[in-house]
Amino acid sequence: MSSNTTTMTNKEQIQQEIERTLLSLDETKRAEANPFLFTRIMARMQRQNGWEKITSFISRPAIALSALIVVMGVNALVIFNPGTRETSQTESIAVSGITDEYNMTFATISDYENTEENELYQK
Amino acid sequence: MTERELIEQLKQGEETAFKTIVEQWKDMVYNTVLGIVQNETEAEDITQDVFIKVFENISSFKGESKFSTWLYKIATSKALDFLRSRKRKKRFGFMKSLFGNGHEEEPQLADFYHPGVKLDNKERSVVLFKAIGKLPENQKAAFTLHKLEGLSYQEISEVLNTTVSAVESLMSRAKVNLRKELEEFYNQNYK
Repeated sequence: MSSNTTTMTNKEQIQQEIERTLLSLDETKRAEANPFLFTRIMARMQRQNGWEKITSFISRPAIALSALIVVMGVNALVIFNPGTRETSQTESIAVSGITDEYNMTFATISDYENTEENELYQK
Repeated sequence: MTERELIEQLKQGEETAFKTIVEQWKDMVYNTVLGIVQNETEAEDITQDVFIKVFENISSFKGESKFSTWLYKIATSKALDFLRSRKRKKRFGFMKSLFGNGHEEEPQLADFYHPGVKLDNKERSVVLFKAIGKLPENQKAAFTLHKLEGLSYQEISEVLNTTVSAVESLMSRAKVNLRKELEEFYNQNYK
C-alpha cells in the first residue's frame, strides 16, 4: 500500500516536473548578438569579394588556357632541351668523382657475399 | 527613417542603410538562430550569413510580407541547413568509425544554456533544449519561434510558408514529443 502511494507521488512529481520544464522558456529574454557584428560582416564580405575576384580571374578561359600553354611549354623545354641533359651528365660525373674520392660507395648484398667468399678462399 | 526607406536605400547599395538594418534586427536574428542551433559560436556565424544574404538578395524582397518575416524566413532556413549539414557530418563520422580503427568518437553536444533564461529556470531549460534538439525540423522551428521569439501562430505560418492550422498541428505534435522525451528523462534521472 505504502509502495503504491510512493509510486503515485513519484509519478505526480515527475508530471509536475515535466510541466515546469515545458514552461521554463517562458519569460526568456532575447539573447544579444555580438556588438561588433556589423564590422565582422563587412570584413567577411570584403574577404569573400577578394576571393571571388581572384577565382573569377583565374577561371576566365583565356587566362586558364594561356596558363596551361605556359606550363606545357616549360615542361617541353625541360624535357627536350639538350643543355639540360649535358648539365645532368656533368652533374653525375661530378657526383661519381666525389664518391670515388671519399670512398662513399654503398655496399650491396652481392658485395658482402663476395667478401665472405674471398675470406673463405683466403683461409 | 522608415523601414521602406531603409530597404530602398539598401537596394541602392547604401552601406549606412545596411548598418542600420544589422543594428536594428541583429538580436532578433541571433536569438532565432541560437534557439535552433543551440551553440553561440555557430549562431554568430549563421547570423553573419543571414545578413550577407540579405545584402545580396535585397532586390528579391518585394515588400509583400513584413521585412521581419523575410528575415525570420532566411534565419530559420539557414539554421535548419546548418543542422542538416551537422547531421550529415555526424553520419559520415559514424561511417568512418565503422571502417576506421574504431577510435573515432561521435561528438556529443554540450549542454546548452540560453543567456536569456531566468536563473531559476536554468537547469530545467537545459533539459528542455536537449528535448527540443530531438524534435523534427519543422516542429523545432515552430516551437522555437513561438517560445523564444513570441511569434503568434499566424506569424509562424508566414515564416514557414504554411497555414495556421498546420502550425497548430506542428505545435501540438511538438508538445506531445517533448512530453514523451521529458518523461523518459525524468524517469531515468528523478530521485
